[in-house]
Amino acid sequence: MQDKTEGKQKVQVLTGEKPGLDQLLETPEKKLSVAGHSIARTDDPAKVTGKLMYGADYPQEGFLHGKILRSPHPHALIKSIDIKKAKELPGVAAVLTGKDVPGRNGFGAILPDQPVICEDKVRYVGDGVALVAAVTEEIAHEALSLIRVEYEVLPAVFDPRDALKPDAPRIHEGGNLLSDNKLRKGNVEKGFEEADIIMERTYQVPFLEHAYLEPDVTLAVPQPDGTMLVEGPMQAPFTVRRNLAAVLGVPVNRVRARQIHMGGGFGGKEDSPIDIGCRAAVLAHHTGRPVRIALEREEVTLQTCKRHPMIMEVKIGAGKDGKLLAFEGVIYDEQGAYAGLGPIIPPAGGSHIHSMVMMPGPYEIPNAKVDAYLCYTNHPYGGAMRGFGAPQVHIAHEQMIDELAGELGLDPLEVRRTNAFRLGSATATGQVLDQSVGLLDTLEACAEAFRWKERFGKNEYVDAQSSKRRGIGTGMGWYRTSIGTNGDGCGANVYVHEDGSVLLYSGITEMGQGAFTVLPQICAEELGVAMEDIRLVEPDTDRVPESGPTVGSRSTTLMGNAIIMAARQVKSSILEMASEMLLVPVERLEAKNRLIYDREDTHKSLTFTEVAAKCMAMGKRLIGQGWWTPPAPSLDPETGQGNPYFVYTYSTHMAEVLVDVETGGVEVTDYVAAFDVGKAINPKALEGQIEGGVAMGLGYALMEEVAMVDGIPQNLNLQDYLIPTSLDMPDVKPIVLEVENKFGPYGAKGIGEMPNIPATPAILNAITDACGGRVRSLPADPERVFMAIREAGGPPER
Amino acid sequence: MNALTLSFTLNGNDVSLDISPNTLLVDLLRDKFRLTGTKVGCREGECGACTVLLDGTPVNSCILPAAKVQGKSLTTIEGLADENGQLSEIQEAFMHEGAAQCGFCTPGMIMNSTALLERNPEPNNQEIRQSLSGTLCRCTGYRKIVQAVATAGEMKKSQG
Repeated sequence: MQDKTEGKQKVQVLTGEKPGLDQLLETPEKKLSVAGHSIARTDDPAKVTGKLMYGADYPQEGFLHGKILRSPHPHALIKSIDIKKAKELPGVAAVLTGKDVPGRNGFGAILPDQPVICEDKVRYVGDGVALVAAVTEEIAHEALSLIRVEYEVLPAVFDPRDALKPDAPRIHEGGNLLSDNKLRKGNVEKGFEEADIIMERTYQVPFLEHAYLEPDVTLAVPQPDGTMLVEGPMQAPFTVRRNLAAVLGVPVNRVRARQIHMGGGFGGKEDSPIDIGCRAAVLAHHTGRPVRIALEREEVTLQTCKRHPMIMEVKIGAGKDGKLLAFEGVIYDEQGAYAGLGPIIPPAGGSHIHSMVMMPGPYEIPNAKVDAYLCYTNHPYGGAMRGFGAPQVHIAHEQMIDELAGELGLDPLEVRRTNAFRLGSATATGQVLDQSVGLLDTLEACAEAFRWKERFGKNEYVDAQSSKRRGIGTGMGWYRTSIGTNGDGCGANVYVHEDGSVLLYSGITEMGQGAFTVLPQICAEELGVAMEDIRLVEPDTDRVPESGPTVGSRSTTLMGNAIIMAARQVKSSILEMASEMLLVPVERLEAKNRLIYDREDTHKSLTFTEVAAKCMAMGKRLIGQGWWTPPAPSLDPETGQGNPYFVYTYSTHMAEVLVDVETGGVEVTDYVAAFDVGKAINPKALEGQIEGGVAMGLGYALMEEVAMVDGIPQNLNLQDYLIPTSLDMPDVKPIVLEVENKFGPYGAKGIGEMPNIPATPAILNAITDACGGRVRSLPADPERVFMAIREAGGPPER
Repeated sequence: MNALTLSFTLNGNDVSLDISPNTLLVDLLRDKFRLTGTKVGCREGECGACTVLLDGTPVNSCILPAAKVQGKSLTTIEGLADENGQLSEIQEAFMHEGAAQCGFCTPGMIMNSTALLERNPEPNNQEIRQSLSGTLCRCTGYRKIVQAVATAGEMKKSQG
């Protein structure tokens, strides 16, 4: 197995040491001048001066303020709604109930099962039963308090296993089981028979809040021609448009969705702008006036989607040497009240199927079986959150591998070395990984930088007096680029003007990840112009081509390719014209750094501007349109076998923790994270993704949980919902490796989601190494760590 | 409610206006003065996105009654650049280090670290982390922000 990796893939190492990330080790023939460099973010000047306008910063003059009356019950029938008093309140422009929705009274990123305004039934405490628009927020609030709703409370269900019981309260007409998926590879019974050791464990993870710092806001502005303009932070303007058109009962081209720069999204602003946008648009439709809905932080927590909670049962069979022979998993995936982004879009789209595909981990296992159940409950609904169902299952398989290593008395890194994907490995879905597989490279690079070998087995009290013990842990991971649907296409337009300046039209949104910098870098590189020659036209469904959602770590790769295609169309005009002007064959021309020159006689050159002006004067095409779709995904619905995603990013993380065995408190004191990204288009922005991702993974491990009591979220604001602060974070050391992806722009693969995924299990494994206890139901807060230490027999002896 | 006449110095300019006594400082800045660089993330003084400097001290403007700035000097993110538009060292350092991602916490982070460097021109890593712990960031993992503050300290020192 080992030799499959050797000699076949070229691995570029970008060291994590400053300022080394810029020292790109590139071959001369592929030397890039704009892509591959740490160019400063295009939005930096506006961000550091406070000039950048977020949704809440837009002037409110002329807007009505929209508010949503939410259900106080997680499951109830609506018997009556009395809106008379609210309507009579001076300053109120509209009070709407379900019958007032002009088109389809339902929305959803995949299935439209969530009412814009509930008519007969509520299914979670975020459900809207009436909408109000008033001239001030205060009046809108008061109007809400004047609405009388009579409910008949129904029994509710809050656990996906309970939801599957025959006598469980029925949340939707079609029953509580939204999706039931299977993965079958080889013969697990036979695998378990051959195994020297079989272990079974159950892991559980709670609801998580995205906690993007910018609360959601939507502006709905009716246009003179009858079009509805909806603006706000949104990751998926095209999905917003599609939903709004159906809800308003108008054709898609009568809705215009425009992204306003986001103050963080992390997947949450794929769903929430639909949720809020539909309501604002219905109010704007009825009043004929602009309507603004700005959610308070508490409303964001109550209403919007969350990371799916899961109960994950794992059974694993292995040889004495740690070789995995069989993997069996069951996922009870809690969807909450509405379908959100959970259900399948064939063949492999939707978070639930993604969880199933990822569950056996980045390991070659001959026999694998997963049963995955996606269940409705009366909790808030599950959506995308940085990893789309992958962080949860990584918490299961990465802890399981460590538990196996512990049982066998092996170094957990050794067990991973034995089983990890290499070039030519087959995944649990039978997909043969035939290119860009740098998983073991990340393991070795991480182990070397972290000095794993020297540090492993040195778990001990920090000194004779201290109650703190040191431990180390590792986590590996893999993550797809793309979303696994047949419709995963991405379009870009590139217009070059007579002075050589360029407009780039892309529907990929900016939420802090750096798309508005990375995408122009690719455009400039391909045209042979400078970064400052490109102006990106921000996402607006009236202006940019369909680009799909900004999710699935797909932007750099899919949009990058579309941009390259569009730029090449323009470039061919430019080169043909330059060829005529210079009397040099096109094949000999090179375009770089705003010059077009003869490779064999560099004195023969023209500026990009000169050629662009000539093209314009001669009527040559300076408009390019690119459209890129990944290789077609496949997944058999019966066996879960196929090629669901066309390429994967790989990663290994290592963490050191100090665990106070008397309090259960955990500090993360050292951290190295290595990635195979294919190609780093902007190394500094990439580092930012890595470091921020680790922070999110740390929060998942140690502190984050939306606490639910009887279906009601308890910790609504940031005082109670804890996220990592500057004191919780170690200095993360990123290591970036480049194993070229043949489908990527310059070899790139996605990186947005990967960094938070292995972080959580790496920290959990380090906790166990330090104190002996294992927390299998997250988060590993002091109380749970304290209990785990006691369950493991108390603090280790000195 | 009776109006209150509020006079203070805002980003170096003397201002005076009538406000309702229950106005919060953040709303005064954002709604009346259109200084929207000061952000609202939680309205409970937890996230620090609304941080401004009151006589040089960082305060959470989302929980501070506007009346509290009577006679004092207030600086917001819009007031950091000099009259020629030259950005402060911290603003420059944030760009240099790539310390802003979504940017929503950036004004609060910059205001907070401006105050830190005033009272401690050469803070170490732990002092910076301690000082920024009341300002939340969900994007960066903080390392580049901490580095930017250290870099700004060095820039200030070298410029003497």
